[in-house]
Amino acid sequence: MSSSPRDTSLTIKATTDQLARIRDYVFGQCVHAGISAPACHNLVLAVDEACSNIIQHAYHNNPAQTFNISIRATKNSVTIEITDSSPPFDPASVPLPDMSTYFEERRHHGLGILLMTKILDSIEYVPASSEGATNKLILTFKVS
Amino acid sequence: MKPFELKISKNSESCSIISLTGYLDAHTAPELEKAIYELLSDGIFNIVVDFTALDYISSAGLGVFMVFIERIREKGGDIKLAAMTERVFSVFDLLGFPVLFNIYPTVQEAVDAFPRT
Repeated sequence: MSSSPRDTSLTIKATTDQLARIRDYVFGQCVHAGISAPACHNLVLAVDEACSNIIQHAYHNNPAQTFNISIRATKNSVTIEITDSSPPFDPASVPLPDMSTYFEERRHHGLGILLMTKILDSIEYVPASSEGATNKLILTFKVS
Repeated sequence: MKPFELKISKNSESCSIISLTGYLDAHTAPELEKAIYELLSDGIFNIVVDFTALDYISSAGLGVFMVFIERIREKGGDIKLAAMTERVFSVFDLLGFPVLFNIYPTVQEAVDAFPRT
């Protein structure tokens, strides 16, 4: 295991069949940084949820679209930056569901962002500043 | 990770068992949704989901169970969840799903929880 930070990135087609590839990539990078397996699994889930939202809601599963994931992982923290060119949408602006109400109303969407907030230390969104620029979703996880 | 697979078997007259393998995510969840929809269309409302060989679940997978649970319970049935790995259970637990769903350590215990017909 290496504890030295390293930056890597992956360009992904915006289709849900790519989620397994994303998970393998995130898990591999986190394991390489020396992060515990349970923490790696949580990070994989958080990134899966973020990317599922982009693929399904921003790009509507369009194979002609791509987005990028980059990871900087050390044994103490992981920063994941996801960049895309879809219309800006800040996931952190979505009200989080109260689970009692969620169950009472038998809702079945909107849990991904809640999972992300439970796993991650911060979720920062930087919308594209101009046409042709990319939105950035920056996920931060600190190893406790 | 193993590829996603879904198999349906009937356990005597009491229930049908959906066995999941691999990963349940936004890509594979529609297949589970279709399978449960077809069971309901056939008048089957007692369902056990066997998680023994499921390695991974995301919120898309959890959402499938929410889609059907009310309709199934209105018909006197249930979706009982069984034999989850610790990792899969932790996702259900993180969102409080054990409050709404009956989760059993083994498939047999889930099957036995249905009244025999």
